Amino acid sequence: MRHQRASSNHDGESHGIDLAPMLDFVLNLLIFFIITTSFVKESGVEVTRPKAATAEARQSGNILIGVRENGEIWMDRREIDIRDLRLLIERMHVERPEDTVVIVADAASPAGVVGKIMDEVRQGGIKDVLVGASSSLGG
Amino acid sequence: MMRHRRMSQSEEESHGIDLAPMLDFVLNLLIFFIITAVFVREMGLSVNRPQAAAEQTQSNDGNIMILITETGEILLDNREVDVRAVRANVVKLVSQKPKAGILVLADAKSPTGLMVQVVDEIRQGGIQNVTFATN
Repeated sequence: MRHQRASSNHDGESHGIDLAPMLDFVLNLLIFFIITTSFVKESGVEVTRPKAATAEARQSGNILIGVRENGEIWMDRREIDIRDLRLLIERMHVERPEDTVVIVADAASPAGVVGKIMDEVRQGGIKDVLVGASSSLGG
Repeated sequence: MMRHRRMSQSEEESHGIDLAPMLDFVLNLLIFFIITAVFVREMGLSVNRPQAAAEQTQSNDGNIMILITETGEILLDNREVDVRAVRANVVKLVSQKPKAGILVLADAKSPTGLMVQVVDEIRQGGIQNVTFATN
């Protein structure tokens, strides 16, 4: 039975296994990873996040703006000025309109800076802004 | 002639093109995407910002205003409250004035952590629509 199938369907194929199903599977995996991958723009600074029990998760929050405790603003691994922020956000918004912003502010950073960043980001075109917090349920 | 010889080398393969180079390439792509994929779930609070023009006109008639001072005190109705007491106070006030918006007015120098804590307390009280302003 097996011999018959192998020899009659695959006209005279004599070597190894059939690669087609494996190729299908691999291509599906590839497409999955291409679609789900999002290149997160890390802020590049380490901060102590404030804790919040009602923090909500945002899968596509991939532009991270870090605020250090002394009020420095970091984005994409370099320190930036608040006046440059709007232009940078505008450019990113044109490139990938589905990106959202998470402001990762240190718990001791001044709230005024966070407020200004929110305004600039909104004027830059990205309306979906989160103030980063870690879920206190997770510890 | 050349072609015929090549075909005979690859032991009488009769159907289609050779898939092996394509498979190599696709597997390399796959490995690249697996390695670079990061499944981050950024956690955070979404708060509103006052419209720039409306900021001045938004007086506290009908609105519940929570002040955070530079030194980290929380003022609600001109009296100081503890962070842990914010939720109960806000819930009580909202039950009296159900249509009121909630405004957290933080001093520009007050710590962000305290602001997040206050907003979190309000949200735990069941009110999602919180506006955050700084002066």
